[in-house]
Amino acid sequence: MASISINEAYKSYGQLEVLHGVSLDIEDGEFVILVGPSGCGKSTLLRMIAGLENITGGEIVLDDLVINKLPPRQRDMAMVFQSYALYPHMTVRKNMAFSLKLAKASNDEIDQKVSMAADILGLEPLLERKPSQLSGGQRQRVAMGRAIVRDPKLFLFDEPLSNLDAKLRVQMRSEIKELHQRLQTTTVYVTHDQVEAMTMADRIVVMNGGHIEQIGTPMNLYNKPDTKFVASFIGSPSMNLIDGHLDDDGRFTSQEGLSWDLKDFAPKSAFGEKICLGIRPENIFVDGEGVALGEAIINVVEPTGSETLLSLRAEKANLHILDRSRREFKKDENVTLTADKHDFHFFQASSGQRLS
Amino acid sequence: MSDAIIQSAPVWAKPTSRYSDLFNRALILIALGALLIFILLPIFWMLKSSFQSTSEVHAIPPSWWAANPSFEPYVIANKIVPLLKYIWNSIFVSASAAILAGIISCMAAYVLARFRFPGATLILVTILLTQLIPPITRVFPVYFLIQNLGLLDSYSGLILAYTGFAVPYAVLLLRGYFQSSVPAELEEAAMMDGCTYFGAFVRVILPICLPGIAAVTIFTFLLAWNDFLWASLLLSSGDAKTIQVGIGGFAGEGGGGRYPNAFMAACVASTIPALIMFFFVQKWLVGGLTAGAVKS
Repeated sequence: MASISINEAYKSYGQLEVLHGVSLDIEDGEFVILVGPSGCGKSTLLRMIAGLENITGGEIVLDDLVINKLPPRQRDMAMVFQSYALYPHMTVRKNMAFSLKLAKASNDEIDQKVSMAADILGLEPLLERKPSQLSGGQRQRVAMGRAIVRDPKLFLFDEPLSNLDAKLRVQMRSEIKELHQRLQTTTVYVTHDQVEAMTMADRIVVMNGGHIEQIGTPMNLYNKPDTKFVASFIGSPSMNLIDGHLDDDGRFTSQEGLSWDLKDFAPKSAFGEKICLGIRPENIFVDGEGVALGEAIINVVEPTGSETLLSLRAEKANLHILDRSRREFKKDENVTLTADKHDFHFFQASSGQRLS
Repeated sequence: MSDAIIQSAPVWAKPTSRYSDLFNRALILIALGALLIFILLPIFWMLKSSFQSTSEVHAIPPSWWAANPSFEPYVIANKIVPLLKYIWNSIFVSASAAILAGIISCMAAYVLARFRFPGATLILVTILLTQLIPPITRVFPVYFLIQNLGLLDSYSGLILAYTGFAVPYAVLLLRGYFQSSVPAELEEAAMMDGCTYFGAFVRVILPICLPGIAAVTIFTFLLAWNDFLWASLLLSSGDAKTIQVGIGGFAGEGGGGRYPNAFMAACVASTIPALIMFFFVQKWLVGGLTAGAVKS
């Protein structure tokens, strides 16, 4: 196990800079997830930690040792790839034993470690099979097995569940989390799926355009997003974001014709400013109590059983609501909307930064 | 009403399409059969003549089967020219060139497939350009080069020449193979597991690429085995001749006319090692080793 610090890390491909001075400290035994849209630099950062990409600027420190120049084999890290990257000419056993053989471990030690990993991951009956004879989930487990036999300082996961179907993804998600709780190995995990990030991470690092937008616990990011981007990225369905103006009397008016009285709880810094107002779909209620948001007409009803996603038209604005009352709604139904005053998020319109 | 029309249409249409389909298939089969006869007849003729007596070979109307098959023509052929020695020479030269070209092209192709470095494109274009030059134009430069190196009339000179001719094509072929059949994640995984670049290449990439390497090796082997031009130019004296030059000498000295059965026996003997080589590596050629390496 180990802690890792990334200090002002830059990455450029020729003239194109893709990481613009990223800094991040990961504690010993922590499960940190890098999340963000495609092209935000999360996989590049992971590969820089692994040593598969050179570092243009800054430094990466593993347990007080700067590892910028160390090749991957000397970093004592194990990586699980999106495509599994199993050696097709080797059996599951040989795949898992490969790194130990290279490290010149004794046959007894190799057998013992492979058996232990196979036992943890339920791979014992598959040890003599080749990767082509395994299902997607089994291959994913072998890839994880190959990583854990080494007992590395750091686990790196590069979108390991992207190729699995939805059901298997949920299963593997809890298996990875359970594995981390059992082994307590420091883990850096990359995904573009915010649900994966929310459910598994001790801390989430939200990245956008080669920058870190926010670092925090899942609930911290959900409850107090620092920026409009984080607010929209974390949470599913995403937060309703409405651009408008909060006048000196605390009345919010949007271009779409919404007009809400927010004077009792809007932050002082937001008064007289152009702002972006955010409310999560699950925080807006139909015929509930709290701040009145006026009336809206239901456009689309999407029931999933435990909850119903409603797309509504309020004045000229489109809003989404996640209703958990199990009430049955109809298209074109007129409903009255309310929200709790603590569930409003205020962002500066120009910078997208949170106002508090 | 409309349902009836829709249902009846295939009933009338079916026989016509089935007959035309059968006719088309018959035509294709006849054409393929004719092509097969065209290709196989000379080989069959060579094979059966190698077991017949001279009179049987010359018989009119032709004798299609050996009435009393005998290995006598093979014995005669080996007396006229040192057949086994020539075959051994050819095996040695062809196998050496194939192994050398395989090793060089593997490493060159891997570097060109995986690494970005200044001049990489220039190297590729140059390699491609060498394939556009007619082989006959290389006769004098290569001859004088081998002569200046002091390698004329030696196995080394011929092996060097064959390797040089095969490497450009092999590099182009293997580069494409590395790029399409071996995901970069595999070598990255190997490096994470403790390999160097070269270790990843040897332990992971090479075993996976055996089908491609086998194709390149057999290509080079056959190129060298079947060659007459370079072997007759660079290595044409005494017992060091390759089988193709040896058979050429056999025919040139009138052996082909006087001992047609022995000549055919020499020809059959010259094809056997290449056939064995092909059967030995064909399981790698049909490969498919990368199945399951990555999620497709």
